[in-house]
Amino acid sequence: MNRRTLLLSAAFGLAFSLAGGLVPGLQGRAEAQNFERPVRLIVPFAPGGTSDILARLIGPKLSEAIGQPVVIENKPGAGGNIGADLVAKAPKDGHTLLLVDVGNLATSPSLFSSLTYDVQKDLAPVSMVMFAPYVMAVHPSVPAKNFQELAAYGKANPGKLAVGNAGVGAVNHITGILVGKGAGIEWKAIPYKGGAAATRAVVAGESNVIINGATATQSFITNGQLQGIAVTGDKRMASLPDLPTFKELGLPAADAGTWQGVLTTAGTPPAMVERLNKEIHKILAAPDMQQKIQDQGGEVRVNTPAEFTRWMDESIAFWGGAIRDAGIKVE
Amino acid sequence: MELLGNLAFGLATAMQPSNLMFCFTGALIGTLVGVLPGLGPMTTVALLLPFTFGLTPEAALIMLAGIFYGAQYGGSTTAILVNMPGETSSVVTCLDGYQLARKGRAGPALAMAAIASFFAGTVATLVIALLSGPMAALALKFTAAEYFSLLIVGLIAAVVLAHGSAVKAVAMIVIGVLLGLVGIDVNSGVPRMTFGLPELADGIGFVPVVMGLFGLAEIASNLEKPQDRTLLTQKITGLMPTGRDLRQGFPAMLRGTVLGSLLGVLPGGGAALPPFAAYALEKRVARDPSRFGKGAIEGVAGPEAANNAGAQTSFIPMLTLGIPSNPLMALMIGALMIQGIQPGPQIMTEQPALFWGVVASMWTGNLMLLVINLPLIGLWVSMLKIPYRMLFPAIILFCCIGAYSVNNSVFDIWVMLGSALIGYFFIKVGVEPAPLVLGFVLGPMLEENFRRAMMIADGDLAVFVTRPISAALLAVAVALLVALVSPSLRRKREVAFAE
Repeated sequence: MNRRTLLLSAAFGLAFSLAGGLVPGLQGRAEAQNFERPVRLIVPFAPGGTSDILARLIGPKLSEAIGQPVVIENKPGAGGNIGADLVAKAPKDGHTLLLVDVGNLATSPSLFSSLTYDVQKDLAPVSMVMFAPYVMAVHPSVPAKNFQELAAYGKANPGKLAVGNAGVGAVNHITGILVGKGAGIEWKAIPYKGGAAATRAVVAGESNVIINGATATQSFITNGQLQGIAVTGDKRMASLPDLPTFKELGLPAADAGTWQGVLTTAGTPPAMVERLNKEIHKILAAPDMQQKIQDQGGEVRVNTPAEFTRWMDESIAFWGGAIRDAGIKVE
Repeated sequence: MELLGNLAFGLATAMQPSNLMFCFTGALIGTLVGVLPGLGPMTTVALLLPFTFGLTPEAALIMLAGIFYGAQYGGSTTAILVNMPGETSSVVTCLDGYQLARKGRAGPALAMAAIASFFAGTVATLVIALLSGPMAALALKFTAAEYFSLLIVGLIAAVVLAHGSAVKAVAMIVIGVLLGLVGIDVNSGVPRMTFGLPELADGIGFVPVVMGLFGLAEIASNLEKPQDRTLLTQKITGLMPTGRDLRQGFPAMLRGTVLGSLLGVLPGGGAALPPFAAYALEKRVARDPSRFGKGAIEGVAGPEAANNAGAQTSFIPMLTLGIPSNPLMALMIGALMIQGIQPGPQIMTEQPALFWGVVASMWTGNLMLLVINLPLIGLWVSMLKIPYRMLFPAIILFCCIGAYSVNNSVFDIWVMLGSALIGYFFIKVGVEPAPLVLGFVLGPMLEENFRRAMMIADGDLAVFVTRPISAALLAVAVALLVALVSPSLRRKREVAFAE
């Protein structure tokens, strides 16, 4: 910006603030919907994960739409709670956003007793972004080609099946417990450091059942290193059309999977939340965005702030109940 | 032949202009830090780690690898010219290299060091290409039980091969293990030693700890030493070794390469062992051992070949098993994780461009080093003249930026500064901090795999001896322990390190 444009914009700024001063009502409305300084988009995980990739896809487009830079910040730690806490305590003006695995966020209140923020009271849901279903698969040494055979084997050999998961209290850990209970199979839950490590261990035959995101598991099913069993979500996956859904099999936790969404600080003016919601919907409607999200093993899912809030409340209640029943506690 | 095809594929990756550039950058930075005492490849790799976010995985690893073997070259330059080892690995090169320089034969000594390093680097590249396939196939059979036994071998080897007192090494490993256990336990989800701090829930960061322990602590202790740079004024003439030098040096180079390649693969070997062992070997096979310490060219060729070969073959366990054989390789694993690549046996099949590209880049890098080193010796010498009061504040600033940028966390800067204090204390009391880092990295893995093996086997300890690979590894661990306590070997080890 050279000196002349600087002077010009300063002059305009002065004019606008004068106008605002003269018409107070106008100023109030403008503040509620416009972005006056750079927006921070917090990803509470290390770079390279699904949340981070989504933030890097959405960030630049959001910046274009609101006319302010969107700065993506990775704040990993404590299962995403350090980053979420930062957004919960930010100024209530919608300039601090959180892009997070909201399924994971919904389990936090039940897992951590010493949480430094309240998921329902301190965060305002803006919009859901993506859903990626789970795939259940087994190591080829397990004599099962479908869920009926797997259940029969599991019942005949209690304790022989070991289900790898992404860590104690992870959504796929609880899903494994619910499925085992629902189908009457006695299987062991083996925690790993993240979903990728769990998948690898099942490929190597250390554990023998995996319930994990499609991105991590799909290639192993295609090349025969894992036997696919079932998928979550309300319909079968286009890339694995032979696998029935949990719903078809009458299994619990049929909606489990990776849900990603954007939230902001609670107390942000509703008009601001609405504006963010609309911009995110517009960005995600573009065909190239839909394709890129499909490449991540998921599909675009958007909703209104009210629907998202209801989803959060229901999820917190559902996973909270399951976590209490299973007796899991992290802190 | 598949091997040739793979190597050609790797060369094609390594020869891409951008990768060549990163290879050159790495080799150049490596030589630079090798020349500068106090700054090692460990610090440099730790410093540059966050800056590899934006690179492709190939470029990141090629550059970091270049720093590692570049430092082995650079270290010998200072050793020969000013009798000051730039690196631990070039301590031995001081012995005869500096004597040669005093006799006015610095040129041939430097050339011999460079040629031996290049030769060893070339052979080691082939060794990696040949051994990685079988190693990776074996690694796919690894489950928690095998990993546990392998980690046991690594930790015991770290004690056996560490220089100095074994008791101190054990103490350091235990402290490292304890530090590594901080955070939420993978198997139970229970937080340990976090004092309610959410920043500690995921454990203590590796990068801030190593930057503090190695980089900052080293700088602090260097400030105490007076700077001695009187010998830098000498002029270097006549680079080419004579026919006699080559006749004497070549067999030493061969022996050093073989020895270095073998010792490099061992977990816990560290940078010091291959050159020390090679020097001891040369002295033993020499017809006239009294020449050593007075300017024997074999005393330069053997250790230099060994340290380069060892530096390179130490990549084998890291690339094929995802297990670091030394602290620097642990940092390389960190670099892969930043890129979203889980280190482990699947790297070879899932990331062939990365694997073979890095292997092939070691050869192109070594060739570049040969080219960089000989004409630029004058430049390196002048680098040694930068006053520490200007160099050190800059390094500390970069360390703070580096520690912060891993997790965007101010907490990590404090962890680094705390580690620096502890590291300085260790230097003061004469304790080697390297085993601590190995314990820090391997300890939590050991516990995790042990408990996972127990969960899967329903608590049956027999699983460690009934699985053949695990049993074989435990046998190796027992053999290493026997070697540690056997008096004859202990004497040899002390003799080797006393020289």
